[in-house]
Amino acid sequence: MTVAGAVGDVRPTKPRTWWKAVVVLAVIAGITVWSSIAIGVDVAAIAENAHNAANTLIQLMQPDYSFFPQTVPALLQTVQMAIIATAVSVVIALPVSFWASRATNPNSAALGIVRFIMNVVRSVPDLLYASLFVTVVGTGALSGIFALVLFNLGILVKLVSEALDGLDRGGQEAALASGASWFKANRQAMLPEVAPVYISQAIYVLELNIRASTVIGLVGAGGLGMLIDQVRTFYQYHYLSLVILEILVIVVLLELLSSFARRRLIK
Amino acid sequence: MTAVTTRQTGTERPSSTGPAASRAPQRPSKPLHLGTKLIWVVVTIVVIAAFWSIDISWDALLTLPQKLVHYLGLMFLPPAWSKLPDALGATMLSVAMAWFGTLLGIIISFPLSLLATRGLTPAVVRWPLRGVFAVLRAVPEVVIAVLMLSVTGLTAFTGALAIAIGSIGTLGKWGYESFESVDRGPIEAATAAGASRLQVMRWGVWTSAKPDVYAFWLYRFEISVRASAILGLIGAGGIGKMLVDNIQFRVWDVVGMLMIVVVVVTMIIDQLSGMVRHRIIEGRWELPIVTALRRRSVKRARSESVDLKITADD
Amino acid sequence: MNQSGAGIRFEHVGVTYPNGYSGLREVNLEIAAGEMVAVVGLSGAGKSTLVRTINGLVPITSGEITVGDVGLHGLRGAPLRHLRSEVGMVFQSFNLAKRTTVLNNVLMGRLHGTSAWRTLLAAWKKDDIELAMQALERVEIVQKAYANASELSGGQQQRVAIARALAQRPKVILADEPTASLDPPTSHVVMRDLQRINAELGITVVVNLHFLDLARRYGQRLIGLRAGEIVYDGQGTDADESVFEAIYGRSLTAEDVLPSQPVELS
Repeated sequence: MTVAGAVGDVRPTKPRTWWKAVVVLAVIAGITVWSSIAIGVDVAAIAENAHNAANTLIQLMQPDYSFFPQTVPALLQTVQMAIIATAVSVVIALPVSFWASRATNPNSAALGIVRFIMNVVRSVPDLLYASLFVTVVGTGALSGIFALVLFNLGILVKLVSEALDGLDRGGQEAALASGASWFKANRQAMLPEVAPVYISQAIYVLELNIRASTVIGLVGAGGLGMLIDQVRTFYQYHYLSLVILEILVIVVLLELLSSFARRRLIK
Repeated sequence: MTAVTTRQTGTERPSSTGPAASRAPQRPSKPLHLGTKLIWVVVTIVVIAAFWSIDISWDALLTLPQKLVHYLGLMFLPPAWSKLPDALGATMLSVAMAWFGTLLGIIISFPLSLLATRGLTPAVVRWPLRGVFAVLRAVPEVVIAVLMLSVTGLTAFTGALAIAIGSIGTLGKWGYESFESVDRGPIEAATAAGASRLQVMRWGVWTSAKPDVYAFWLYRFEISVRASAILGLIGAGGIGKMLVDNIQFRVWDVVGMLMIVVVVVTMIIDQLSGMVRHRIIEGRWELPIVTALRRRSVKRARSESVDLKITADD
Repeated sequence: MNQSGAGIRFEHVGVTYPNGYSGLREVNLEIAAGEMVAVVGLSGAGKSTLVRTINGLVPITSGEITVGDVGLHGLRGAPLRHLRSEVGMVFQSFNLAKRTTVLNNVLMGRLHGTSAWRTLLAAWKKDDIELAMQALERVEIVQKAYANASELSGGQQQRVAIARALAQRPKVILADEPTASLDPPTSHVVMRDLQRINAELGITVVVNLHFLDLARRYGQRLIGLRAGEIVYDGQGTDADESVFEAIYGRSLTAEDVLPSQPVELS
């Protein structure tokens, strides 16, 4: 008993798509070869320095806890910077997000301009802002704060304006029909709707800032990063590993806190 | 003239008041919301404390606007286009760093993420692995790069390795998350048909998870490109290095040109990877900007008719 | 709270949409102050358009509408907002701000007269809060003043919407299919509220309805629209078979009236 349809059915020919996969793989291989040449892949160097690397790793596993008191000012500054930057950017981003959303800004020209500017602001990495501000304003936490605020604005405005775009606009329609201006209608009808998202994104930005604050010091913008910068030039890995450990602890604590906070918000 | 009669409508309960003559429901009192208020008070105190305790001189704030204008002028009026070829070369180097690093990260993380999937390996293997992923995710890439100084010096190769190591954490996590969220049906069918564990992974898990995995590989590449620019800022090469050199030597018109290059390249990569992701998920090549414009015109047509209430469902 | 309504006059009003479709054609209508008018017709006949031209949500392309003593043609900006503040509107989908309290929703009716700063800080004037409470009392839902709008049933939400319109102290109330999302008993409650408001406060009410029996029962005057033109304008009680044919193009069927059996409220 055969398992088949009527004998004589025309069998379709197997589609010949294998060549597509070959092309893709060839392209990927080509790019990889080119990039390894460009960056100077030097496997030999790894082999030579493997011993060094192992040493470093061992030192990294043994943080020097006695160094802790000296790290406290930098640690504190990291947290302070993050909090201040979050607070400032959260306040500035609110009106800007409303300007950047089609749901709350009826003026297409202004909308386009704000969105474009925000896209540009968002394309610049945080460390780059930090470098620029350090040169313009000087080293220290102030440049870090400026850098973080700009960095946050781009992210916050994008996230919040996208949330606004998707909201139910019924209350806004009613407010406009009752003679309120766009500003009043948005404030009264749209703001409460977007508030939970806004708060959740503010917490996300705080997380990002704490992470970023730990490293912007590498270019002089304050916080733990400056300590890393000082310490790495002397190859003091025991100290370095303590600092890294602190960073790890902060980040992990943050993640726990934020998932806790986010869960309480969702309900 | 307020309503005095109350009506039973089945949806409200008139409150009981004193004298039988007045049956108007009482106005409720404003709720206290003490919990929420407490949270706001705490947050405000923390913020004020941060402002108060930080050790910086705020007077730089006063001169900031004019300084900004001054420097923006130096950077962009006009930017140093003559150095554009150098900038593009440096950009290529950064992209190469990102490509190599991401590829390496993918190769390493792929088997590891499979091993970390619930249902494919025992817990004693999974949890340490997930822990490693978490640690690698938590350490910022720049720190990894700094650590690798002694191994390969601060070069583009270091940058690529740092990107690779950093990406193992996120790629690993996204990997096992998508493997775990796969529809169980094909897996059951494969196991019932007698497939070995490897075959189940290949045909049951991989085929379903493939689009998501390709998508986040691409997304990770995007992130890596940004990371490579950042790593350049601490000296690893590429456009970041060119930037930091020119910033240090205050060659502002080159800095301005480089900023434009960074922004434009970031935007192009966003669009390109959006297009490739669109292709993977929806099977068509389309630039995100085209999709957005198309959706906007459909939405506009629809909203015009909704405003005027002439839709099909009317 | 003694208010009086405003009269509405349509003179050769036409509405043509950008795509060429004609929403209203040569509409001439005179609604006296304090009248309660029900507008009926098939979907797409122009009922919604008619109602929405009165507060300028749909711009007219020919003719003139006068509300009270304000003409709508070319009205925009502050004068348009002023007109809208005197015209309350009740929507089919209630249009409440879901994540805030009932009281805040009703206070939205006072937005026009509230300064930008007060709006920003949500510092409502005491008089406005009192007005809002009174409006809630009038529709008998004041106990829910501090409840979240999303916690209310459909009928309750619509009553809050009516309270919001009332808080504007309007001269006209427009209602665009206010009962379309409600079950029959609640529809009657809402229509009765509108009728009471019209009778007690003298506000002109124009209601857009799908179900004919509601229209005849609660509207003093019935206006039938078909393909953008008025085909009937008279008393609800005078409307007979031929009138239905003119409006609906067919004789009355069961779909044109509310189900008479009480629906099981689950």
